[in-house]
Amino acid sequence: MLQLLLIATWLIFGTMSVCALSYKDHRDNQILGVTLSREHAKHPEVQKVIKKFKIACYLVLLISIAFSFLMPAKMIGQYAEFYMLVLITANIFANWFVIHFYQQGLLSIKKEKAWIYKRTRVVTVDMNVSKEKGKSSVASIWAWLFLFLSFIPAVFLLLHAKARESYPIGFSLIGPLCQLNAIYLYYQMRHRHVPALSDNTEINKACARTEERINTMAATLLAFAMFVFWVMFNISVIYEKNAIFVVLSAIILVTVPIMIAYWQRKKIRTAENNFFGEMQERDIFEQESTWKWGCYYNPNDPRIIVPKRIASMGFTINIGNPVGKAIGFGIIVLLLLIFSTIFYGGFKDYTITENGSRIIIDAAMYDRSVEKNQVVSLSTIDRIPVGTRTNGYGGLNKSYGHFSINGYGKCMLYIYNKVDKYIVLKLKGDNPAYIIVNDKSQDKTERLYQEIKRWLTE
Amino acid sequence: MILRIEMTSDTPIYQQIRNKIVFGVARGYIKPGDSLPTVRQLANDIGVNPMTVNKAYALLKKEGIIVIERRHGAKISDCRTGGNAFESDFDRRVELLVSEARMKGASKQDIKKHISDLIDTVYD
Repeated sequence: MLQLLLIATWLIFGTMSVCALSYKDHRDNQILGVTLSREHAKHPEVQKVIKKFKIACYLVLLISIAFSFLMPAKMIGQYAEFYMLVLITANIFANWFVIHFYQQGLLSIKKEKAWIYKRTRVVTVDMNVSKEKGKSSVASIWAWLFLFLSFIPAVFLLLHAKARESYPIGFSLIGPLCQLNAIYLYYQMRHRHVPALSDNTEINKACARTEERINTMAATLLAFAMFVFWVMFNISVIYEKNAIFVVLSAIILVTVPIMIAYWQRKKIRTAENNFFGEMQERDIFEQESTWKWGCYYNPNDPRIIVPKRIASMGFTINIGNPVGKAIGFGIIVLLLLIFSTIFYGGFKDYTITENGSRIIIDAAMYDRSVEKNQVVSLSTIDRIPVGTRTNGYGGLNKSYGHFSINGYGKCMLYIYNKVDKYIVLKLKGDNPAYIIVNDKSQDKTERLYQEIKRWLTE
Repeated sequence: MILRIEMTSDTPIYQQIRNKIVFGVARGYIKPGDSLPTVRQLANDIGVNPMTVNKAYALLKKEGIIVIERRHGAKISDCRTGGNAFESDFDRRVELLVSEARMKGASKQDIKKHISDLIDTVYD
């Protein structure tokens, strides 16, 4: 479990570093969000800043990985999930800080050298190209096919009632939901604007056709990668019960989109160079005001969802729009909620108290009371069979909430995972059929068992 | 035809789209019978709300510059047949522009030459 947390953490660190490093490229007349012409981007001072930025990004990655090795330490290991979240937050903040710091450096150079660009933003559209949109794309049937195929796990669960015990059907719909996003991305890519860089409409058309093909191919490959991930993930959950396959599929989910995005950018750059030669810069304009705190900010743009600076990396919200602002605020609130829930769940201990004819289990979010007449039998076990969490918290040290355990069915767990002694309360009915609890040590668990036994016989 | 839309201009975007299409038709970049991109596609390419493009198309339709067919979308209509080249508003608008130029000190010859050059630009 700890190894899995470590791999997941490294994956996130790696992704964050790749994303941060991608800002160093000169794209859409910008480097690190600072508007610079092609000529100015090649200036030695600018190149020096970019070199330092690259080193800083690698340093952040190395330091983050170094800190992650503290996770197995006894003191920290107790709160590994929370420590992981703190590390990830720190890594995201460090990457953001590095980008911001070197952005300021570039702005100073720009100010010092008096590199001033016009502020008028001109959008150039070739109407003949617009009319042809959608005709050169990879057929949409592939994206739709992957969506339909992603329902296979849900159909499997519908047909196999036993599998539903350890794999809730609602969970099996996450895949189709993600595939739906891939379809949305496909259509966004199909209709993506290609700037008209030539006055010759035939050249614009040829370039637009090539770019449309590349963009839709990238979206289709992404849909395929997500489908492969979903199939591998389901096989590992339903058959293998081996977490390493889940990690392997997660690695595919993270690395393949990055590779696809790289391929797409490279192909588009080559195509544009082939069609237009050395790119003209007649449409360069100041863009600083359209990016704030790493988010797109443009009150004059009516769109709520806009492509990221690297369009193939997905979408972001326009925080200059009131609806975009509300969505952004909602995401922050949601993240804080998740953080505080994990923090609260990781730190709060279970307390089991008697109250007349009932015992009350106090746990974060999953409080439960059990009436004496509900209990059919009481026993202890040294090992809990394999099972899956249906709704609850399954951490490194603690597990609580609703679980489905092989041989027991639906259970409620309030356990410290590293204590090899568990008290099993068999209940009337099957929702849950059992409540399994323990305490922080075997001795304490034994004492708790005796107390519950006494309470039952009173 | 290539549209260049100034996003920060004081002229509304729908008005700029309308004007550019009028210039395009007058200069022969787009001919009667040529189709226009769909509202959704053009809005996506310019990066504006489809309502903005819709407004421009509605204005062009009202002026008889385009016709919108349910199955074939927007097409440039043949404005030369049956249309009045000098609408009621035409004289008033030109008169106002000439008055403004005179007010700013332009001579009669300057204005005549300037207008003649503009006519050449449109007709060449």
